[in-house]
Amino acid sequence: MCLHSLSPIASIEATRPVFLIVMGVFLLIIAWRMAKEAEGWSARLMMAGALMLCFGYAVLVPLYEAEIIEKFHPRAQLHDPASALGWHAVKLVVMNAGWLIMGLGLGLHSGLIRIPAALKISKPRAISTHESIA
Amino acid sequence: MNLLLDIIVTNGLFFDALGIIGLGILALSAVRLVKNDQSWGGTMMGFGAVALLVARLHILLAPQYVDTDFLHTIGPLGIALMEGLPPLLLTFGLAGVVWGLWGHEKWLKEN
Repeated sequence: MCLHSLSPIASIEATRPVFLIVMGVFLLIIAWRMAKEAEGWSARLMMAGALMLCFGYAVLVPLYEAEIIEKFHPRAQLHDPASALGWHAVKLVVMNAGWLIMGLGLGLHSGLIRIPAALKISKPRAISTHESIA
Repeated sequence: MNLLLDIIVTNGLFFDALGIIGLGILALSAVRLVKNDQSWGGTMMGFGAVALLVARLHILLAPQYVDTDFLHTIGPLGIALMEGLPPLLLTFGLAGVVWGLWGHEKWLKEN
């Protein structure tokens, strides 16, 4: 890995990766703040999606743009095909599953999707004072 | 090749479809937030999700309809737009979603 191939952080070429890093981190922070207000599966799914997207946008995409990770192509002559393939798989999973999980979380939050009864978290029932404990 | 890696790489289209479905759900949820709660963040989120969706669909489907005849028809300006627009849409789409989410979070705090 060569650090000198990273373009200077304030250059024009670095605008997009830096913008994506800021957006990825911001997305995670906002999802965190929203998850504090929401509860149950909507908060969990939103956080899981935001974590995946944050990793994708703040780590993977800038590394691809800095050419530290090689772009995978079945017929390309790659320096290190195994690592290119591995990162390609990680990128495919993180960037797509991230949006799907985030979308499902927001869908639950907005009421677009209902939670299946089997997944509902049952709250522990408070024991009433009139009920016999024995 | 490792079996799991093989499945993931040969089913790239399947994963892309998952991402597109996710963005579709995100856009629909944003519309619902605007309609039911009048949350202004939903509008930005909806625009962002649609921009991301359009750019991703274009990148996925471009090999199917882009050939020399098509490039000849759209001319140099069209080619420049076709090359320049998807990265712009991907970048500003993400910004729209993040801005919209921030707006909605603020709206939630206020109410």
